Amino acid sequence: MRPLGDGAVVLARPAGVSARALEDLLRAWPRVHDVVVTEDQACIYFDPSSVPADPSAAIAKLAPGEPEDVRRVTIRARYDGPDLDEVASRARLSPERVADLHASSEYTVAMIGFLPGFAYLRGLDPRLELPRRATPRVRVPALAIGIAAAYTGVYPHPSPGGWNLIGTAVGFEPFSNERGAALRPGDRVRFERIG
Amino acid sequence: MHEGVPPGGALVPELLARANAAVENASGEAAIELFGGMTLVARGAPLDLGLEDGARVRLADGERLEVPASRALRVRYVAVRGALDVPVALGGRGTLLVAGLGGWQGRPLRAGDRLPVGGAAAARGSARPFPLAPEEPIRVLAGPDAPRFDASAIEVLQSQPFTVMPASDRVGTRLAGPLLVRRDSDDARSAPLARGAIEVPSSGAPIVLGPDHPTTGGYPVLATVLRADCGRLAATPIGASVRFRLVALDELRERVLL
Repeated sequence: MRPLGDGAVVLARPAGVSARALEDLLRAWPRVHDVVVTEDQACIYFDPSSVPADPSAAIAKLAPGEPEDVRRVTIRARYDGPDLDEVASRARLSPERVADLHASSEYTVAMIGFLPGFAYLRGLDPRLELPRRATPRVRVPALAIGIAAAYTGVYPHPSPGGWNLIGTAVGFEPFSNERGAALRPGDRVRFERIG
Repeated sequence: MHEGVPPGGALVPELLARANAAVENASGEAAIELFGGMTLVARGAPLDLGLEDGARVRLADGERLEVPASRALRVRYVAVRGALDVPVALGGRGTLLVAGLGGWQGRPLRAGDRLPVGGAAAARGSARPFPLAPEEPIRVLAGPDAPRFDASAIEVLQSQPFTVMPASDRVGTRLAGPLLVRRDSDDARSAPLARGAIEVPSSGAPIVLGPDHPTTGGYPVLATVLRADCGRLAATPIGASVRFRLVALDELRERVLL
């Protein structure tokens, strides 16, 4: 457990405990204002003058396993990204094969971060794993589908970005002002190829 | 933040509070955050305006006020009595530029914008004094990732001033000064971030995260500015310098947490 300034504390996330269970526990913890859960950590945010009690004992009691209300979401995708050819060439596959491999996996939302509604999706075919681009783009368009390391994701808004862009999501709103993020950690996602 | 939304809020909350207090608004009421200068005109009724220095100005209908850029501050605040009447989005009235969300149409204000006013109840009490104290170092706690830096990095952070660079914005204050040397060049998998965290890309030039920081990121955090000093750092104008001083969590805090 480590302080991140005097208004936040980072905690280890126990193996096997779902991000959702951890998020729900910590969001309900007294004096906690907000929570961020990543693949291996959780962070609680609070007023420095009103510090929460240590939640470690409660976290240790969380049972491993998936939440019961995991959603299954299909995102339609056109594989028309500016980096598709380069990704294919580096993977020694055809662009067609890259698109098929991407669209035939089932992904799990590992965490939400980086931008409102940006879901890091785990489950990328290992043949498609490659690092982020050496020079990030100044502007990635909204709904671009990117891949980097072991993840894929859909950019919710135009923003700078370093992921390799292979396609465009169609008819999907990763984040709306009214409903917030469309996906939650633990949700299952598939891409349905439409082009 | 669990949905990837930054915490938001004023870049310098203490100055927003002073502007609001000048017109008897509650400290966090929606107001204008101003980088540079602007001219305002009252339309349709007299307006009571409050500025971050505590000044109060009454404009008659049709009267204009020029608010010049400040040389001593990175940002100014202009509050109106009754507050700005913009819709609430995600629990607040501020603007999140990256999402085009909140505030006035999710974007920076531009000439010709007509902002509705009024409706907020008056609040008693005045804002606390906010000494900018530019000669006082900014207090930091050792960050979660200090081991990912050269052993001397935390001393280097305190050894010389850092200059606030023009690319600084609500996402982060970019600093130039002695390079902070990392042990590794790869960025780790994403970790949670917080306002005030001093993250260091491989270039060695630090960024102090502001209210619109991404909720997660891969750059290591060498140290984190105390909440009470975040506003002071953010108020430091472009081209001016800051110094840092390492402090320890007080004993009371450690007893509560461990």
